[in-house]
Amino acid sequence: MSAATIEPPPGPNVERVPLILNERRLSWVTDRISGIVEDRTPFWWWVAFLVTSPIALIGLFCIGYQISTGVGVWGENIPVGWAWDITNFVFWIGIGHAGTLISAILFLTRQRWRTSINRASEAMTLFAVICAGIFPGIHVGRFWMAWFLAPVPNQYGIWPNFRSPLLWDVFAVSTYFTVSVLFWYTGLVPDLATLRDRATSRVRKFFYGLFALGWRGSNRQWRHYEMAYLLLAGLSTPLVLSVHSVVSFDFATSVVPGWHTTIFPPYFVAGAIFGGFAMVLTILLPARAIYKLHDVITPQHVDKMCKIILLTGSIVGYAYSMEFFIAWYGGNAFEKAAFLNRAFGPYKLYYWTMISCNVLSPQIFWFKYCRHNVFIVYFVCMCVNAGMWFERFVIIVTSLAQDFLPSAWHVYHPTWVEIWTFVGTFGIFLSLFLIFMRYLPMIAMSEVKIVSPFADPHHHPPGAQEETHH
Amino acid sequence: MKTIFHHPPEPEGGKKYWRSLDELAGTPEFRTLLEREFPQGAAEFNDDGLSRRNFLKLMGASTALAGLGLSGCHRPEMHLVPFTKSAEWAIPGKPLFYATSMPGRRGALPLIVTTHDGRPTKVDGNPMHPVTQGASDVFAQASILNLYDPDRSRAFLNSGQVSDSDHFSASLDKIAANLAANGGAGLAFLVEHDNSPTRERLRGEVLKKFPNAAWCVYDPLVNDELARVLEAGGARNAPRIEKADVILALDCDFLGCDEGDVETSRAFAVRRSPEQKTVNRLYVVENRYTLTGGVADHRLRCPASQIGAFALALAREIGRLTGNGGLDPFGGAREPSVNTNFVAGWVEKTAQDLVAHKGRGLVMAGSRQPAAVHLLVQSINAALGNEAVAAMPVATKPGITIGELARNITDKKVNTLFILGGNPVYNAPADLEWAALQKSLPVVIRVGMYEDETSAGCNWHVPAAHYLEAWHDGLASDGSYLSGQPMILPLFGGWSDSDILARLAGLPKPAGPELIQETFRARARATGGDFAAAWNKFLHDGFLENSAPAPKPAAGVADGGAYIRDNANLPTLSGEDAFEVVFISSASVDDGRYANNSWLQELPDPVTKLTWDNAALISPATARKLGIESKSFGQKDFPVVEVSVGNSKIEIAALIAPGHADHSISIPLGYGRKVTGWVGAGAGVDAYPLRTSATPYFAVGAKVRVTGGSYPLALTQDHHTMEGRALVREGTISHYREKPDFAKTMWMDAENAVRNPSLYSHPPMNGLNQWGMVIDLNKCTGCNACVVACQAENNIPIVGKEQVINGREMHWIRNDRYFASWDSLDDDPEMVMEPMLCQHCENAPCETVCPVNATVHSDEGLNVMAYNRCIGTRYCSNNCPFKVRRFNFFDYQQRPVAAQDVPFFGKVSGLKLGPLTEKGSPDTLKMQKNPNVTVRMRGIMEKCTFCVQRIEEAKIAQRVKARDSDKVRVPADVFQVACQQACPAEAIVFGDILPDSGSKVSRLRQDPRGYTLLDYLNVNSRITYLAKIRNPNMEMPGADKVATFDAAQEEKPKG
Repeated sequence: MSAATIEPPPGPNVERVPLILNERRLSWVTDRISGIVEDRTPFWWWVAFLVTSPIALIGLFCIGYQISTGVGVWGENIPVGWAWDITNFVFWIGIGHAGTLISAILFLTRQRWRTSINRASEAMTLFAVICAGIFPGIHVGRFWMAWFLAPVPNQYGIWPNFRSPLLWDVFAVSTYFTVSVLFWYTGLVPDLATLRDRATSRVRKFFYGLFALGWRGSNRQWRHYEMAYLLLAGLSTPLVLSVHSVVSFDFATSVVPGWHTTIFPPYFVAGAIFGGFAMVLTILLPARAIYKLHDVITPQHVDKMCKIILLTGSIVGYAYSMEFFIAWYGGNAFEKAAFLNRAFGPYKLYYWTMISCNVLSPQIFWFKYCRHNVFIVYFVCMCVNAGMWFERFVIIVTSLAQDFLPSAWHVYHPTWVEIWTFVGTFGIFLSLFLIFMRYLPMIAMSEVKIVSPFADPHHHPPGAQEETHH
Repeated sequence: MKTIFHHPPEPEGGKKYWRSLDELAGTPEFRTLLEREFPQGAAEFNDDGLSRRNFLKLMGASTALAGLGLSGCHRPEMHLVPFTKSAEWAIPGKPLFYATSMPGRRGALPLIVTTHDGRPTKVDGNPMHPVTQGASDVFAQASILNLYDPDRSRAFLNSGQVSDSDHFSASLDKIAANLAANGGAGLAFLVEHDNSPTRERLRGEVLKKFPNAAWCVYDPLVNDELARVLEAGGARNAPRIEKADVILALDCDFLGCDEGDVETSRAFAVRRSPEQKTVNRLYVVENRYTLTGGVADHRLRCPASQIGAFALALAREIGRLTGNGGLDPFGGAREPSVNTNFVAGWVEKTAQDLVAHKGRGLVMAGSRQPAAVHLLVQSINAALGNEAVAAMPVATKPGITIGELARNITDKKVNTLFILGGNPVYNAPADLEWAALQKSLPVVIRVGMYEDETSAGCNWHVPAAHYLEAWHDGLASDGSYLSGQPMILPLFGGWSDSDILARLAGLPKPAGPELIQETFRARARATGGDFAAAWNKFLHDGFLENSAPAPKPAAGVADGGAYIRDNANLPTLSGEDAFEVVFISSASVDDGRYANNSWLQELPDPVTKLTWDNAALISPATARKLGIESKSFGQKDFPVVEVSVGNSKIEIAALIAPGHADHSISIPLGYGRKVTGWVGAGAGVDAYPLRTSATPYFAVGAKVRVTGGSYPLALTQDHHTMEGRALVREGTISHYREKPDFAKTMWMDAENAVRNPSLYSHPPMNGLNQWGMVIDLNKCTGCNACVVACQAENNIPIVGKEQVINGREMHWIRNDRYFASWDSLDDDPEMVMEPMLCQHCENAPCETVCPVNATVHSDEGLNVMAYNRCIGTRYCSNNCPFKVRRFNFFDYQQRPVAAQDVPFFGKVSGLKLGPLTEKGSPDTLKMQKNPNVTVRMRGIMEKCTFCVQRIEEAKIAQRVKARDSDKVRVPADVFQVACQQACPAEAIVFGDILPDSGSKVSRLRQDPRGYTLLDYLNVNSRITYLAKIRNPNMEMPGADKVATFDAAQEEKPKG
């Protein structure tokens, strides 16, 4: 028996839905995506930017006011020492997770559909991490002393406290940001070269040329590039898991009932991916509509992201119920009270909003129709965005407001400064994203082209095949 | 300057902790020195306040800083200028301690005052005096802030125009000369209660010169009727609480600051420890929860107006039990409990217990209850032969009442009125319409600490000297003679009562202690050379030894029956809508005199935990009837009710007070001041308009209406239950005797509880001393003396009402107050107190989470804060299970707490305006600061340090003493922390916990009642709480529920 005699079993004759629809050629991809950057700034862009940037400025004003006057301009108190500040921090960091997951883990697992969305998601990650990074910085009482967090050698021999999860946060978030920037930039290089080559003005040519680092698209460069990309993907993958685990340690390693939970690391990571994908869709669906990118970001992409949202949303739902189960099963009166207060105490509205947004709303993604109706998808994504913010708020504030000694219990209310600081970070985030859309290719052209059927030398589009025979 | 007393030579080897100031005050050098520090021209500051610019300008001359005024926009340079000649014994950086006393309406309080470089900074009880034994109360602790109050009156005002002391003296002499012509006809004095023998002597001198003058003594919280009816014989009956086995307190808050004092608190506490054979038993009948009600073994809710009915019912029952028919003045003719259904069996069982403890019982009535109630109580005590009552001489002759004075004014019998202290326009009975009366007088001369309601329209307003600024004397509550030295020259040139009286009597205005010396000479019977020594000892000790009169057995009661029958002040309270209003003293501002004291305004009421305001306290049942609801916590806006009595009405926020009597509304007096400094402005509602001469304490026939409005109240604790958590552990005496260590195995600390291992190891705690604390919950009444003592010692800022509402009060020690009951609708919950402060956990959760190592452990077991290192993440506070850490959310020490006017925004707290306000605190307030404690800036965390400055001081002293030897370990109990020092019940004990130290705390830690909080967290707290023990009479109704709350919870977690 020779090997040649064995016939591979006949596979089912199912044709994969192509990742680029309508048989778009490589040149179409280049033109369409570069065109976004090269065309005249559209009117809507100015309108959007003139809305988001003043909001960002209001946020910066609030931050300035808070730093110059004191944390007291927020609504925090004793016992609620953290509230919107850390809620916002965890919220933004969570959003930042989708980018790395898409670029790193889906890359390593050869999920080729990622190419249409990875660039925008990575950019979103960076901007979200920037927004996130604001909060631990400004939430401290003495902003100008925040450098004490850095392990700077000094004559007193005082080091940061390496037992403190807040310090781990500093390291985790800064590492994550650095690696994300590198990863994003590395992916950008071939596209920057494309833009350089297409540039019509000297200024554009100079800057795109500068950042394209002399990319020529030679075989050698491609080999090095792909290796670097692979290595960075490998480096980023553990970060996807570690950053939010470390963030969850802020709570899990404390003694506060409602925080002190071993389930937090996986639960937080799942929640972060959940929230991150919702935010990716929140941003990309309008962008797709505006720039008519339906052939690149196809229903198939949306469908897959919805499935991830459904999966992670269900994990989160499981975590919520497990927390309650353990609070009861553990028999600790404080834990029990903390969870009962969460669901039925003064913040019950927040809790049930969280449950409906995070656990209930994604369940409609079991239905294909819902995954393919952009309006439903968009609505669910907005719910998830809100729900994930509420989740962090519920965890942080309800646990602190009612902890061990009932004498110390105190309700927390936000002030306008906190609200506007948070709104301001949306201004910062969206302004940055608008600038990104204007000046950088929001879809990874080179990668999309790689997964395009035309990248395959043996590919013969149906129409083209006939032509060659003539 | 006139009399120089030479101090006896320093005795060799003897330790001197404090010295008298007399010589210092007398020497010209020292006077110049003080004047330089506090220039006479200080009065000139008054208009624009003592701003830093002004202050520096004035100081400029003495500090010889020629360039200061020219320094333009530079930060002003401040130079430290040493004394050219040092104050005697002063060692730079070391405080001196002087004895003095604080006058009060219940007698003066013997004190020791800490002074740093001539600035008094802290007031404490005199440890040598048997009454205080070092302890003090809230008002004494906070009185130091009044001295430095920037809003104090600073100028002599002649009909509102700024004048000066010389003009006033001249004017005074002229008035005196005019009056002397007709023997003082038309002259009247209105003074506050003060038992100073010197004032009494000067009163005699003045009345000798002006025999027709009238002398009126008025205090809104003093019952004039008692003096008239019960003290006419020159003696009053004083309780001897330490002698009583069974105590019945009828609306008598003898453990609170109003009715009680340091002496009564201690006397009660000594008989409370469960180790002794007979533990006292306390029955309390009262309309609202007081501190006394909180420690009671049995408590009956009863409207204040029905206390008389209760006393009558009790007298009848005791009469029946003892066969003494004389106990019922009505001879059975009048129904005993008029429409008041006392809990069945309460009267009978209490009477039986009192009869069973004949001779060893004590019945007390609140001092502001009508004389009829007191007569009934006296007859009960006499009938039972109770020995815990003693007769004490009355120190001062009674004057006329304010009602009589008002009549004299209406009848035009008065043309010149001296108002020495007090604030009658604000607090005189409403029916007198005092403001109009005062306006009708041709000459009114007023001496007051503040330019207040009464000052307006006076011919002369004279700034009063604070008691720490003037020579005075007084009698302690045991009658012993106390010295009163000034600690500082009057900051604003104030005069004391004695100065005025002496001047009127034709004596020169005293420059030193002459007046007091004269009184002392007579009292001490010392002459010649003996005198100087005796006087020095008097000043040094703070009191005259053996001057307390021996208590005499209580005088037999004259037949009070006629008085009781004739005076219809045992009113009825009938009908569904019948309400009484009870005018209670405020635990914070007293009768309003401390309205501008920010420490006291921010001090939570010990029971309601209300700050910065008063409220109408109503029972939960009354609230339900009125349709008022409350949240379990997190309520900020409270419904406003309109309370009307006759034609007067006030609108005030209603606060539901568990344990309050139905049909009764308690309103603290002293709030709603109209003319006062920034602190008192806008704090609370004035209840005096409802109070008339006929209803000085309670008014029946009040009406209540919910207006529909709301008002924000700042409560520091609004969740009342312990949620079934065994935080305060209590048991009955029989439970304790059966199982003394019951508290150790309660609830989550059950015997089979599993302890989790610690994840982290810590550096060894191998210091020579290991500091720790024991708090005896059985002794603590929750009086708050510790809270203010800590505030004064540790430079703790106040944050204002808005920030208290936001949950940002800064107190390092707080008193947690919980109500415990079997179900939430129980109208008779128990009340328990628990002082809560940093537990100095050996395995501290705050330390592991601080990212910058700003809170760490010392090798002596202290959880220490490195303020400079703190960046303010607040993570430590989040992870603190006791929530005792306090965060400087704003720059409380440098920015004004008061609201400022901002265009377009209206009133905005200065804290929120931050850099837009002027930086720095008023200079006088800086003088109060303890120089040994860092003043914290904004953005950093702080908390109880176990008074680390005192620990370090003791260590340094020991090291100095040890010289080359290795005996550097601080001996046992050589110093106290501030809260411990202040505690009148000695509930707080601090010291070295090592077993071989021999300290009190190391012994008390072995007490079987000891337990630590939240043990399951493995925090290893350094504070041990000793469980509370109640001593119920098992025959009383509801006795089975006493102190069993936590024991019942013990079962729960297993479920």
